[in-house]
Amino acid sequence: MRCIPKTQLIEDKLCETGIEKLDEMLCGGIPTGSTVLVVGSSGTGKTTLCMQYLINGAKKGERGVFFTITEPLFKLTKNLESFSFYDKKLVESGLVNLIDLRIISERLGLDTEKYTVEDASALLDILRDIANELNVKRLVIDSITALCYRLQTPEMIRDFIFKLGSSLAAMNCTTLLTSEIPPFKFQYSPYGIEEFISDGILFLGDVERKGDLIRTFQIVKMRGTAHDRTKTAMLISTKNGVELETLLRARE
Amino acid sequence: MTSVLVDGLMERISSAIDLNQSIGILLPGPNYQDLIQALFKRIKSNKDEVWVYVTVTKPFQNISNQLPFITEIKNLCFIDCISKAAGLSKVAKNVIFVESPTMLEKIGLEIMNIFKEVDSKTKKYLVIDSLTNLIIYNDPEIVTEFFYHIINRTRANNINVISLAIEEEGMECYLNRLVYLNDKILKIRDSFI
Repeated sequence: MRCIPKTQLIEDKLCETGIEKLDEMLCGGIPTGSTVLVVGSSGTGKTTLCMQYLINGAKKGERGVFFTITEPLFKLTKNLESFSFYDKKLVESGLVNLIDLRIISERLGLDTEKYTVEDASALLDILRDIANELNVKRLVIDSITALCYRLQTPEMIRDFIFKLGSSLAAMNCTTLLTSEIPPFKFQYSPYGIEEFISDGILFLGDVERKGDLIRTFQIVKMRGTAHDRTKTAMLISTKNGVELETLLRARE
Repeated sequence: MTSVLVDGLMERISSAIDLNQSIGILLPGPNYQDLIQALFKRIKSNKDEVWVYVTVTKPFQNISNQLPFITEIKNLCFIDCISKAAGLSKVAKNVIFVESPTMLEKIGLEIMNIFKEVDSKTKKYLVIDSLTNLIIYNDPEIVTEFFYHIINRTRANNINVISLAIEEEGMECYLNRLVYLNDKILKIRDSFI
């Protein structure tokens, strides 16, 4: 596949993930302002990928925010500390902001189980305000599935993601939303709505080899860039974080 | 007597790898010990080169117990693919432990990550010990694919490759197919030893 040489790219039009092979596959990066669904079952590396994306951005001076719903902050930071890409100073300096969305919901007095239309609207406003106030260029919600679970109808889910994506795009903020699916299922979200509103889909999976699980990665969709669609192996190490490598596929 | 044999093997390997980008060494099992001794002697002989040794045959601990001098070789890095699965991986300098020999992509990535940090002028060598054992743990087709990738990438990055194939009954067709991807094949025979 032919990509535009990096020098010809208008820098602020693409958001480099900082993961070398991924940026190559994306022909430079994610188009700035996109909302991208990071899909995968448990243990496929969604959180690590998103965190590395955020931290790599912060290292270039781009402020980012990570909203967690599935994991308490102390657990999240404890897991992060084992990775060499993690730099505590980035969190202390405010370049990387880690926020527990459940705490925000509680403070807003929202029902923890189900959101009404008003609740959803209040939450949307607070997310937009935080992004705006911190002037973030990268935002992650881990996971959108947990959030959608609280939204009661498909219309509410569609409306929420659409409005969130549009507001963040207007701020030139590139957003990753993690989507949880059951293992070995080729689907992008439990509700079947998220993928249609998103600009991009990164699919994280597993292949089994002699009983061992090999992580895989595939760009299913990315509006605005001529991306690669091959399935690659995704490796995670504490030294290098996420790395992509050609997947061996004999007798797959 | 052993020393003469090892020296003879070392010279044979040295001259072959000087002339070819990749060499495959086909050897009977009983000659394995002499061969790796010759290989490590060759590795030790030039400190200006960088060597990566992928072991699927013996755990690093076992090799270093038999040949203690290898722990002193600074220009050598091991990728041990079997210790971790066997619960034997102890932290050691210059050793990377891969979870399982089935993690071929990880092995490939670790190899290239090491060489990426070496400047382009330094002579770089990779040893795969052995293709036979990779086939024991994986389907032969996937090992072939893996080895194709390795040969292509090392050619592109100016890295010399030495791959060992220990002869085993029933594996001849797979090993021959793999070994013939190399530029040169050395067949070690009992008569030569």
